[in-house]
Amino acid sequence: MSNSHLFLPSGFIRTPLQNGLGRYIPQLQRITIKFCKSHGGSRGVRDFIESDLMEFAKTNPGTVVYLKPRRHRSPCMVAEYLNGEREYLSCHEFSRDEVYKWLSYMCTRSGIPVMRFRKYQHTDYPTIQGVWNPFTHQAPEINVAEFPHEVLSKPINHGPTATEQLIEIFKKTQLEDPANKPPN
Amino acid sequence: MVVKSTGSHDFSRNFKAHWVAPTLRELQRRKVIEEDRGGGPKIFHRSTFLEWNYDAEIFAFSNRLGEKFNDSSLRAALTHKSYIERETARLSDIGVESNLQFQDNEALAQKGGEIMSKFINGYLRAVFTQVPEELIRAMHDFLTSNPTLETVAKHIGLGDLMLCADFPCKTETYVKSFKAVVAALAESSGEERARIFVQDLVITQLYGQDVNELWNPVDPIGNLTAILKREGKAEPEFRLIRQAGSNSILAVYYVGVYSDKNFISEGAGESLEVAKEMAAREALKKFFHTEDSMRALPFGRQLKNIQSKIAQLENQPNVPLSEWISPKIMSAVH
Repeated sequence: MSNSHLFLPSGFIRTPLQNGLGRYIPQLQRITIKFCKSHGGSRGVRDFIESDLMEFAKTNPGTVVYLKPRRHRSPCMVAEYLNGEREYLSCHEFSRDEVYKWLSYMCTRSGIPVMRFRKYQHTDYPTIQGVWNPFTHQAPEINVAEFPHEVLSKPINHGPTATEQLIEIFKKTQLEDPANKPPN
Repeated sequence: MVVKSTGSHDFSRNFKAHWVAPTLRELQRRKVIEEDRGGGPKIFHRSTFLEWNYDAEIFAFSNRLGEKFNDSSLRAALTHKSYIERETARLSDIGVESNLQFQDNEALAQKGGEIMSKFINGYLRAVFTQVPEELIRAMHDFLTSNPTLETVAKHIGLGDLMLCADFPCKTETYVKSFKAVVAALAESSGEERARIFVQDLVITQLYGQDVNELWNPVDPIGNLTAILKREGKAEPEFRLIRQAGSNSILAVYYVGVYSDKNFISEGAGESLEVAKEMAAREALKKFFHTEDSMRALPFGRQLKNIQSKIAQLENQPNVPLSEWISPKIMSAVH
Protein backbone atom coordinates (compact mmCIF):
# COMPACT_ATOMS: atom_id res chain seq x y z
CA MET A 1 0.00 0.00 0.00
CA SER A 2 2.19 2.85 -1.25
CA ASN A 3 1.41 6.52 -1.62
CA SER A 4 3.51 7.24 -4.69
CA HIS A 5 0.47 7.21 -6.96
CA LEU A 6 -1.06 10.13 -5.08
CA PHE A 7 -0.37 13.59 -6.45
CA LEU A 8 -1.24 15.00 -3.07
CA PRO A 9 1.87 16.41 -1.38
CA SER A 10 2.76 14.87 1.93
CA GLY A 11 4.16 16.41 5.06
CA PHE A 12 4.11 16.51 8.80
CA ILE A 13 1.35 18.16 10.72
CA ARG A 14 2.12 21.74 11.62
CA THR A 15 0.46 24.99 12.59
CA PRO A 16 1.37 28.58 11.72
CA LEU A 17 3.01 30.71 14.39
CA GLN A 18 2.65 28.12 17.24
CA ASN A 19 -1.11 28.69 17.14
CA GLY A 20 -2.77 27.29 20.23
CA LEU A 21 0.36 27.30 22.37
CA GLY A 22 -0.37 30.73 23.79
CA ARG A 23 -3.83 31.51 22.48
CA TYR A 24 -5.86 30.16 19.59
CA ILE A 25 -6.23 32.58 16.69
CA PRO A 26 -8.79 31.59 14.05
CA GLN A 27 -6.85 31.44 10.83
CA LEU A 28 -9.61 32.41 8.42
CA GLN A 29 -9.01 36.07 7.64
CA ARG A 30 -11.86 36.80 5.23
CA ILE A 31 -14.35 34.96 3.07
CA THR A 32 -15.87 36.33 -0.13
CA ILE A 33 -19.14 34.77 -1.26
CA LYS A 34 -20.02 35.48 -4.88
CA PHE A 35 -23.47 34.57 -6.12
CA CYS A 36 -26.13 35.48 -8.68
CA LYS A 37 -29.30 37.14 -7.45
CA SER A 38 -31.59 35.38 -9.86
CA HIS A 39 -30.05 32.25 -11.35
CA GLY A 40 -31.13 28.87 -9.95
CA GLY A 41 -27.67 27.58 -9.23
CA SER A 42 -27.26 30.20 -6.51
CA ARG A 43 -30.46 29.31 -4.74
CA GLY A 44 -28.79 27.47 -1.89
CA VAL A 45 -26.32 30.28 -1.40
CA ARG A 46 -29.10 32.88 -1.41
CA ASP A 47 -31.06 30.84 1.16
CA PHE A 48 -27.97 30.53 3.31
CA ILE A 49 -27.35 34.28 3.18
CA GLU A 50 -30.94 35.02 4.14
CA SER A 51 -31.04 32.62 7.08
CA ASP A 52 -27.72 31.37 8.50
CA LEU A 53 -25.18 34.01 7.51
CA MET A 54 -25.80 36.48 10.34
CA GLU A 55 -25.41 33.75 12.94
CA PHE A 56 -22.19 32.63 11.27
CA ALA A 57 -20.82 36.18 11.24
CA LYS A 58 -21.67 36.63 14.93
CA THR A 59 -19.99 33.40 15.99
CA ASN A 60 -16.86 34.21 13.93
CA PRO A 61 -16.18 37.89 14.63
CA GLY A 62 -12.55 37.44 13.57
CA THR A 63 -13.52 36.73 9.97
CA VAL A 64 -14.67 39.41 7.55
CA VAL A 65 -17.52 38.26 5.31
CA TYR A 66 -17.84 39.91 1.91
CA LEU A 67 -20.89 39.32 -0.28
CA LYS A 68 -20.47 39.96 -3.98
CA PRO A 69 -23.52 39.57 -6.18
CA ARG A 70 -22.46 38.87 -9.77
CA ARG A 71 -24.96 38.44 -12.55
CA HIS A 72 -24.92 35.38 -14.82
CA ARG A 73 -22.09 33.68 -12.91
CA SER A 74 -22.21 30.54 -10.84
CA PRO A 75 -21.74 30.97 -7.10
CA CYS A 76 -18.42 30.41 -5.37
CA MET A 77 -16.62 31.24 -2.16
CA VAL A 78 -13.01 32.35 -1.79
CA ALA A 79 -11.39 31.97 1.62
CA GLU A 80 -8.26 33.94 2.50
CA TYR A 81 -6.09 32.81 5.37
CA LEU A 82 -3.68 34.64 7.61
CA ASN A 83 -0.62 33.06 6.00
CA GLY A 84 -1.64 34.43 2.60
CA GLU A 85 -3.13 31.28 1.07
CA ARG A 86 -6.40 31.45 -0.82
CA GLU A 87 -8.89 28.70 -1.35
CA TYR A 88 -11.58 28.67 -4.01
CA LEU A 89 -14.71 26.55 -3.83
CA SER A 90 -17.48 26.46 -6.38
CA CYS A 91 -20.91 26.42 -4.71
CA HIS A 92 -22.92 25.79 -7.85
CA GLU A 93 -26.22 23.99 -7.07
CA PHE A 94 -25.29 23.59 -3.40
CA SER A 95 -28.08 23.32 -0.90
CA ARG A 96 -28.22 25.70 2.03
CA ASP A 97 -26.86 23.05 4.42
CA GLU A 98 -24.01 22.21 2.08
CA VAL A 99 -22.96 25.86 1.94
CA TYR A 100 -22.99 26.01 5.75
CA LYS A 101 -21.02 22.78 5.99
CA TRP A 102 -18.31 23.91 3.56
CA LEU A 103 -18.13 27.34 5.16
CA SER A 104 -17.52 25.84 8.59
CA TYR A 105 -14.91 23.56 6.99
CA MET A 106 -13.10 26.65 5.71
CA CYS A 107 -13.24 28.12 9.22
CA THR A 108 -11.47 25.24 10.84
CA ARG A 109 -8.57 25.12 8.38
CA SER A 110 -5.36 27.05 8.53
CA GLY A 111 -3.98 28.13 5.20
CA ILE A 112 -1.51 25.26 5.07
CA PRO A 113 -2.28 23.34 1.85
CA VAL A 114 -4.17 20.08 2.02
CA MET A 115 -1.64 17.28 2.27
CA ARG A 116 -1.31 13.68 3.31
CA PHE A 117 -0.06 13.60 6.89
CA ARG A 118 2.87 11.28 7.32
CA LYS A 119 2.38 11.35 11.09
CA TYR A 120 -0.47 12.74 13.16
CA GLN A 121 1.89 14.00 15.86
CA HIS A 122 4.66 16.53 15.81
CA THR A 123 7.10 17.49 18.48
CA ASP A 124 10.08 19.80 18.54
CA TYR A 125 11.62 17.80 21.36
CA PRO A 126 11.60 14.18 20.20
CA THR A 127 13.83 12.89 22.95
CA ILE A 128 14.09 13.60 26.66
CA GLN A 129 16.54 10.97 27.87
CA GLY A 130 18.71 11.30 24.79
CA VAL A 131 18.80 9.40 21.50
CA TRP A 132 20.14 5.85 21.70
CA ASN A 133 23.68 5.42 20.51
CA PRO A 134 25.76 2.23 20.59
CA PHE A 135 27.35 3.33 23.86
CA THR A 136 24.04 3.62 25.72
CA HIS A 137 23.60 0.93 28.39
CA GLN A 138 27.06 -0.47 27.72
CA ALA A 139 28.78 -1.60 30.91
CA PRO A 140 31.71 0.69 31.74
CA GLU A 141 33.77 -2.45 32.37
CA ILE A 142 34.35 -2.82 28.63
CA ASN A 143 36.71 0.17 28.77
CA VAL A 144 39.35 -1.68 30.78
CA ALA A 145 38.45 -5.27 29.89
CA GLU A 146 40.97 -7.66 28.32
CA PHE A 147 39.29 -9.73 25.61
CA PRO A 148 38.48 -12.64 25.49
CA HIS A 149 36.64 -11.94 28.77
CA GLU A 150 34.83 -14.70 30.62
CA VAL A 151 31.63 -12.62 31.10
CA LEU A 152 31.75 -9.96 28.36
CA SER A 153 32.79 -12.28 25.53
CA LYS A 154 29.70 -14.44 25.99
CA PRO A 155 26.27 -13.40 24.68
CA ILE A 156 24.13 -11.88 27.42
CA ASN A 157 21.07 -13.82 28.75
CA HIS A 158 22.35 -16.96 27.13
CA GLY A 159 20.39 -19.47 29.19
CA PRO A 160 21.22 -23.18 29.38
CA THR A 161 21.71 -25.01 26.07
CA ALA A 162 19.59 -28.06 25.18
CA THR A 163 22.51 -30.37 26.02
CA GLU A 164 22.95 -28.76 29.43
CA GLN A 165 19.20 -29.00 30.13
CA LEU A 166 19.23 -32.72 29.29
CA ILE A 167 22.22 -33.29 31.55
CA GLU A 168 20.34 -31.49 34.36
CA ILE A 169 17.25 -33.67 33.82
CA PHE A 170 19.46 -36.79 33.81
CA LYS A 171 21.15 -35.77 37.05
CA LYS A 172 17.75 -35.24 38.69
CA THR A 173 16.48 -38.61 37.60
CA GLN A 174 19.74 -40.17 38.80
CA LEU A 175 19.13 -38.78 42.27
CA GLU A 176 15.49 -39.96 42.35
CA ASP A 177 15.84 -43.45 40.97
CA PRO A 178 19.37 -44.58 40.29
CA ALA A 179 18.28 -48.01 39.01
CA ASN A 180 16.49 -46.59 35.88
CA LYS A 181 18.12 -46.33 32.48
CA PRO A 182 19.25 -42.70 31.67
CA PRO A 183 16.95 -41.06 29.06
CA ASN A 184 19.24 -40.63 26.05
CA MET B 1 -8.21 23.95 -5.26
CA VAL B 2 -11.48 23.24 -6.99
CA VAL B 3 -13.91 20.91 -5.24
CA LYS B 4 -16.70 19.34 -7.27
CA SER B 5 -20.15 19.60 -5.74
CA THR B 6 -21.95 16.44 -4.73
CA GLY B 7 -24.96 17.19 -6.93
CA SER B 8 -24.49 17.10 -10.69
CA HIS B 9 -22.36 14.56 -12.54
CA ASP B 10 -22.10 15.94 -16.05
CA PHE B 11 -19.38 13.72 -17.57
CA SER B 12 -19.46 15.24 -21.03
CA ARG B 13 -18.15 18.52 -19.57
CA ASN B 14 -14.67 17.12 -19.02
CA PHE B 15 -13.72 17.14 -22.71
CA LYS B 16 -12.48 20.49 -23.96
CA ALA B 17 -12.54 21.63 -27.58
CA HIS B 18 -9.37 21.03 -29.63
CA TRP B 19 -8.41 24.72 -29.69
CA VAL B 20 -8.62 25.32 -25.91
CA ALA B 21 -5.28 23.80 -24.88
CA PRO B 22 -3.17 25.54 -27.58
CA THR B 23 -4.82 28.88 -26.77
CA LEU B 24 -4.14 28.57 -23.07
CA ARG B 25 -0.57 27.47 -23.76
CA GLU B 26 0.04 30.54 -25.91
CA LEU B 27 -1.50 32.87 -23.32
CA GLN B 28 0.68 31.35 -20.61
CA ARG B 29 3.78 31.80 -22.76
CA ARG B 30 2.96 35.48 -23.30
CA LYS B 31 2.19 35.99 -19.62
CA VAL B 32 5.58 34.55 -18.65
CA ILE B 33 7.34 36.92 -21.06
CA GLU B 34 5.45 39.93 -19.72
CA GLU B 35 6.18 38.98 -16.11
CA ASP B 36 9.88 38.54 -16.81
CA ARG B 37 9.96 41.93 -18.51
CA GLY B 38 8.11 43.55 -15.64
CA GLY B 39 10.30 42.00 -12.94
CA GLY B 40 8.02 39.36 -11.52
CA PRO B 41 4.25 38.79 -11.36
CA LYS B 42 2.08 41.83 -10.69
CA ILE B 43 0.87 42.04 -7.13
CA PHE B 44 -1.92 44.24 -5.89
CA HIS B 45 -2.67 45.43 -2.39
CA ARG B 46 -5.80 43.86 -0.96
CA SER B 47 -7.37 47.29 -0.54
CA THR B 48 -7.48 47.75 -4.32
CA PHE B 49 -10.09 44.97 -4.57
CA LEU B 50 -13.73 45.85 -4.81
CA GLU B 51 -14.55 43.81 -1.73
CA TRP B 52 -12.69 45.74 0.96
CA ASN B 53 -14.00 47.41 4.07
CA TYR B 54 -11.28 48.85 6.26
CA ASP B 55 -13.54 49.35 9.26
CA ALA B 56 -14.70 45.72 9.10
CA GLU B 57 -11.10 44.54 8.74
CA ILE B 58 -10.04 46.46 11.84
CA PHE B 59 -13.00 45.08 13.78
CA ALA B 60 -12.12 41.55 12.72
CA PHE B 61 -8.44 42.12 13.61
CA SER B 62 -9.19 42.95 17.22
CA ASN B 63 -11.71 40.12 17.54
CA ARG B 64 -9.36 37.59 15.98
CA LEU B 65 -6.81 38.29 18.70
CA GLY B 66 -9.49 38.39 21.39
CA GLU B 67 -8.49 41.89 22.47
CA LYS B 68 -10.30 45.22 22.76
CA PHE B 69 -8.60 48.24 21.22
CA ASN B 70 -9.42 51.93 21.30
CA ASP B 71 -10.32 52.70 17.72
CA SER B 72 -8.14 55.80 17.52
CA SER B 73 -5.13 54.06 19.10
CA LEU B 74 -5.34 51.10 16.74
CA ARG B 75 -5.72 53.25 13.64
CA ALA B 76 -2.79 55.39 14.74
CA ALA B 77 -0.73 52.27 15.34
CA LEU B 78 -1.35 51.10 11.78
CA THR B 79 -0.64 54.44 10.08
CA HIS B 80 2.89 55.17 8.97
CA LYS B 81 4.58 58.49 8.46
CA SER B 82 5.37 57.59 4.85
CA TYR B 83 1.66 57.17 4.14
CA ILE B 84 0.75 60.54 5.63
CA GLU B 85 3.49 62.21 3.65
CA ARG B 86 2.37 60.53 0.45
CA GLU B 87 -1.26 61.49 0.97
CA THR B 88 -0.51 65.12 1.77
CA ALA B 89 1.77 65.33 -1.28
CA ARG B 90 -0.91 63.80 -3.47
CA LEU B 91 -3.59 66.17 -2.23
CA SER B 92 -1.39 69.20 -2.58
CA ASP B 93 -0.55 68.08 -6.13
CA ILE B 94 -4.24 68.09 -6.93
CA GLY B 95 -4.54 71.43 -5.22
CA VAL B 96 -6.77 70.44 -2.32
CA GLU B 97 -5.98 71.95 1.04
CA SER B 98 -4.99 68.97 3.17
CA ASN B 99 -6.54 68.95 6.62
CA LEU B 100 -5.72 65.33 7.34
CA GLN B 101 -6.29 64.28 10.91
CA PHE B 102 -3.94 61.31 10.72
CA GLN B 103 -1.68 60.43 13.60
CA ASP B 104 1.38 58.34 12.86
CA ASN B 105 2.78 55.47 14.83
CA GLU B 106 6.28 56.71 15.59
CA ALA B 107 5.70 57.37 19.28
CA LEU B 108 3.60 54.25 19.70
CA ALA B 109 6.25 52.08 18.06
CA GLN B 110 8.93 53.45 20.34
CA LYS B 111 6.85 52.83 23.45
CA GLY B 112 5.77 49.43 22.19
CA GLY B 113 9.36 48.33 21.66
CA GLU B 114 10.24 49.29 25.21
CA ILE B 115 7.33 47.56 26.92
CA MET B 116 7.76 44.48 24.72
CA SER B 117 11.41 44.20 25.80
CA LYS B 118 10.32 44.62 29.40
CA PHE B 119 7.70 41.87 29.17
CA ILE B 120 10.08 39.49 27.40
CA ASN B 121 12.81 40.01 29.97
CA GLY B 122 10.34 39.50 32.82
CA TYR B 123 9.14 36.19 31.40
CA LEU B 124 12.63 34.89 30.65
CA ARG B 125 13.93 35.74 34.10
CA ALA B 126 10.93 34.13 35.76
CA VAL B 127 11.19 30.91 33.75
CA PHE B 128 14.98 30.65 33.47
CA THR B 129 15.80 31.48 37.07
CA GLN B 130 19.26 29.91 37.13
CA VAL B 131 20.51 31.34 33.86
CA PRO B 132 23.13 34.10 33.59
CA GLU B 133 22.03 37.46 32.25
CA GLU B 134 24.07 37.01 29.04
CA LEU B 135 21.85 34.15 27.91
CA ILE B 136 18.71 36.08 28.87
CA ARG B 137 19.96 38.91 26.70
CA ALA B 138 20.66 36.54 23.81
CA MET B 139 17.16 35.06 24.02
CA HIS B 140 15.65 38.54 24.21
CA ASP B 141 17.61 39.65 21.15
CA PHE B 142 16.43 36.60 19.25
CA LEU B 143 12.79 37.26 20.14
CA THR B 144 12.91 40.96 19.30
CA SER B 145 14.91 40.46 16.10
CA ASN B 146 13.40 41.72 12.85
CA PRO B 147 12.80 38.31 11.22
CA THR B 148 10.93 36.98 14.26
CA LEU B 149 8.71 40.03 14.68
CA GLU B 150 8.06 40.23 10.95
CA THR B 151 6.81 36.63 10.92
CA VAL B 152 4.52 37.32 13.86
CA ALA B 153 3.19 40.53 12.27
CA LYS B 154 2.51 38.85 8.95
CA HIS B 155 0.66 35.94 10.50
CA ILE B 156 -1.78 38.05 12.50
CA GLY B 157 -2.91 39.86 9.38
CA LEU B 158 -1.10 43.19 9.65
CA GLY B 159 0.01 43.08 6.01
CA ASP B 160 -3.35 44.18 4.61
CA LEU B 161 -4.19 46.61 7.40
CA MET B 162 -1.09 48.78 7.46
CA LEU B 163 -1.26 52.18 5.81
CA CYS B 164 2.20 52.68 4.37
CA ALA B 165 3.75 54.03 1.20
CA ASP B 166 5.86 50.98 0.38
CA PHE B 167 4.33 47.91 -1.22
CA PRO B 168 5.36 45.12 -0.81
CA CYS B 169 5.94 46.31 2.73
CA LYS B 170 9.43 46.29 4.14
CA THR B 171 10.48 44.36 7.22
CA GLU B 172 10.92 47.54 9.27
CA THR B 173 7.35 48.59 8.48
CA TYR B 174 5.96 45.30 9.78
CA VAL B 175 8.09 45.44 12.92
CA LYS B 176 7.12 49.05 13.62
CA SER B 177 3.42 48.31 13.17
CA PHE B 178 3.60 45.33 15.49
CA LYS B 179 5.36 47.29 18.24
CA ALA B 180 2.82 50.10 17.82
CA VAL B 181 -0.04 47.59 18.12
CA VAL B 182 1.44 46.32 21.40
CA ALA B 183 1.58 49.90 22.70
CA ALA B 184 -1.97 50.56 21.51
CA LEU B 185 -3.14 47.46 23.36
CA ALA B 186 -1.40 48.60 26.54
CA GLU B 187 -3.15 51.96 26.18
CA SER B 188 -6.55 50.45 25.47
CA SER B 189 -6.78 47.39 27.72
CA GLY B 190 -4.02 47.90 30.27
CA GLU B 191 -0.56 46.53 30.80
CA GLU B 192 -1.74 43.11 32.03
CA ARG B 193 -3.44 42.28 28.75
CA ALA B 194 -0.49 43.60 26.77
CA ARG B 195 1.84 41.36 28.78
CA ILE B 196 -0.29 38.29 28.05
CA PHE B 197 -0.46 39.33 24.38
CA VAL B 198 3.34 39.49 24.11
CA GLN B 199 3.68 36.18 25.94
CA ASP B 200 1.19 34.46 23.64
CA LEU B 201 2.49 35.80 20.35
CA VAL B 202 6.15 36.73 20.67
CA ILE B 203 7.58 34.50 23.37
CA THR B 204 5.97 31.38 21.86
CA GLN B 205 8.46 31.83 19.01
CA LEU B 206 11.10 30.60 21.45
CA TYR B 207 9.39 27.22 21.54
CA GLY B 208 11.26 24.70 19.40
CA GLN B 209 14.42 26.82 19.45
CA ASP B 210 17.38 25.34 21.32
CA VAL B 211 18.40 28.14 23.69
CA ASN B 212 21.96 26.85 23.91
CA GLU B 213 22.46 27.69 20.25
CA LEU B 214 21.86 31.37 21.03
CA TRP B 215 24.68 31.82 23.51
CA ASN B 216 27.52 29.78 24.94
CA PRO B 217 30.12 30.69 27.56
CA VAL B 218 33.54 31.33 26.09
CA ASP B 219 35.59 29.27 28.54
CA PRO B 220 33.35 26.47 29.81
CA ILE B 221 36.12 24.50 31.51
CA GLY B 222 37.32 27.54 33.45
CA ASN B 223 33.76 28.44 34.42
CA LEU B 224 33.07 24.89 35.57
CA THR B 225 36.20 24.89 37.73
CA ALA B 226 35.21 28.21 39.31
CA ILE B 227 31.65 27.04 40.04
CA LEU B 228 32.80 23.83 41.68
CA LYS B 229 35.32 25.78 43.75
CA ARG B 230 32.58 28.18 44.78
CA GLU B 231 30.37 25.32 45.90
CA GLY B 232 33.21 23.80 47.89
CA LYS B 233 33.40 20.68 45.74
CA ALA B 234 36.53 19.05 44.34
CA GLU B 235 38.16 20.13 41.08
CA PRO B 236 36.62 18.73 37.89
CA GLU B 237 38.33 15.63 36.58
CA PHE B 238 37.93 14.71 32.92
CA ARG B 239 37.99 11.02 32.08
CA LEU B 240 37.69 9.26 28.74
CA ILE B 241 34.58 7.08 28.95
CA ARG B 242 34.07 5.77 25.45
CA GLN B 243 35.92 5.94 22.20
CA ALA B 244 35.52 4.51 18.74
CA GLY B 245 37.31 4.83 15.44
CA SER B 246 40.35 6.69 16.79
CA ASN B 247 42.34 6.44 13.53
CA SER B 248 39.45 7.24 11.21
CA ILE B 249 37.60 10.36 10.09
CA LEU B 250 34.54 9.38 12.11
CA ALA B 251 36.35 9.23 15.43
CA VAL B 252 34.19 9.75 18.50
CA TYR B 253 35.36 10.31 22.04
CA TYR B 254 33.10 10.49 25.08
CA VAL B 255 34.60 12.43 27.98
CA GLY B 256 32.98 12.50 31.41
CA VAL B 257 33.40 15.18 34.06
CA TYR B 258 33.76 13.93 37.62
CA SER B 259 34.05 15.87 40.84
CA ASP B 260 35.46 13.77 43.66
CA LYS B 261 34.45 10.62 41.76
CA ASN B 262 30.86 11.88 41.38
CA PHE B 263 29.61 11.95 37.82
CA ILE B 264 28.50 15.40 36.65
CA SER B 265 28.06 15.18 32.89
CA GLU B 266 29.48 13.73 29.72
CA GLY B 267 30.14 15.13 26.28
CA ALA B 268 31.06 13.72 22.90
CA GLY B 269 33.33 15.07 20.18
CA GLU B 270 35.50 14.18 17.23
CA SER B 271 38.68 14.83 19.20
CA LEU B 272 39.62 14.75 22.86
CA GLU B 273 39.74 18.53 23.22
CA VAL B 274 36.32 18.98 21.62
CA ALA B 275 34.84 16.23 23.79
CA LYS B 276 36.30 17.85 26.89
CA GLU B 277 34.75 21.20 26.03
CA MET B 278 31.40 19.61 25.24
CA ALA B 279 31.44 17.82 28.59
CA ALA B 280 32.12 21.10 30.39
CA ARG B 281 29.30 22.75 28.42
CA GLU B 282 26.90 19.99 29.41
CA ALA B 283 27.87 20.47 33.03
CA LEU B 284 27.16 24.21 32.76
CA LYS B 285 23.83 23.43 31.10
CA LYS B 286 22.99 21.28 34.13
CA PHE B 287 23.78 24.16 36.48
CA PHE B 288 21.77 26.65 34.41
CA HIS B 289 18.87 24.16 33.99
CA THR B 290 18.95 24.50 30.21
CA GLU B 291 19.85 20.91 29.31
CA ASP B 292 18.00 19.12 26.49
CA SER B 293 15.71 17.44 28.99
CA MET B 294 14.67 20.69 30.70
CA ARG B 295 11.04 21.44 31.46
CA ALA B 296 8.89 22.74 28.65
CA LEU B 297 8.29 26.48 28.55
CA PRO B 298 5.01 27.43 30.23
CA PHE B 299 2.41 29.32 28.23
CA GLY B 300 -1.24 30.24 28.46
CA ARG B 301 -3.00 28.97 31.55
CA GLN B 302 0.26 27.67 33.05
CA LEU B 303 1.38 31.25 33.53
CA LYS B 304 -1.54 32.30 35.72
CA ASN B 305 0.31 31.72 38.96
CA ILE B 306 3.58 33.36 38.01
CA GLN B 307 2.32 36.53 36.31
CA SER B 308 3.03 38.57 39.42
CA LYS B 309 6.51 37.09 39.65
CA ILE B 310 7.06 37.96 35.98
CA ALA B 311 5.98 41.54 36.59
CA GLN B 312 8.31 41.74 39.56
CA LEU B 313 11.33 40.46 37.66
CA GLU B 314 10.97 42.82 34.73
CA ASN B 315 13.25 45.30 36.43
CA GLN B 316 15.53 42.82 38.16
CA PRO B 317 18.23 41.42 35.90
CA ASN B 318 19.61 37.96 36.44
CA VAL B 319 23.12 37.41 37.72
CA PRO B 320 25.77 37.94 34.99
CA LEU B 321 28.18 35.09 34.30
CA SER B 322 31.14 36.78 35.98
CA GLU B 323 29.26 36.91 39.25
CA TRP B 324 27.63 33.51 38.75
CA ILE B 325 30.98 31.79 38.98
CA SER B 326 32.45 33.99 41.70
CA PRO B 327 32.50 33.06 45.39
CA LYS B 328 30.32 36.07 46.28
CA ILE B 329 27.07 34.41 45.17
CA MET B 330 26.07 31.46 47.28
CA SER B 331 22.94 30.66 45.32
CA ALA B 332 21.78 32.24 42.08
CA VAL B 333 18.10 31.68 42.70
CA HIS B 334 15.58 34.53 42.80
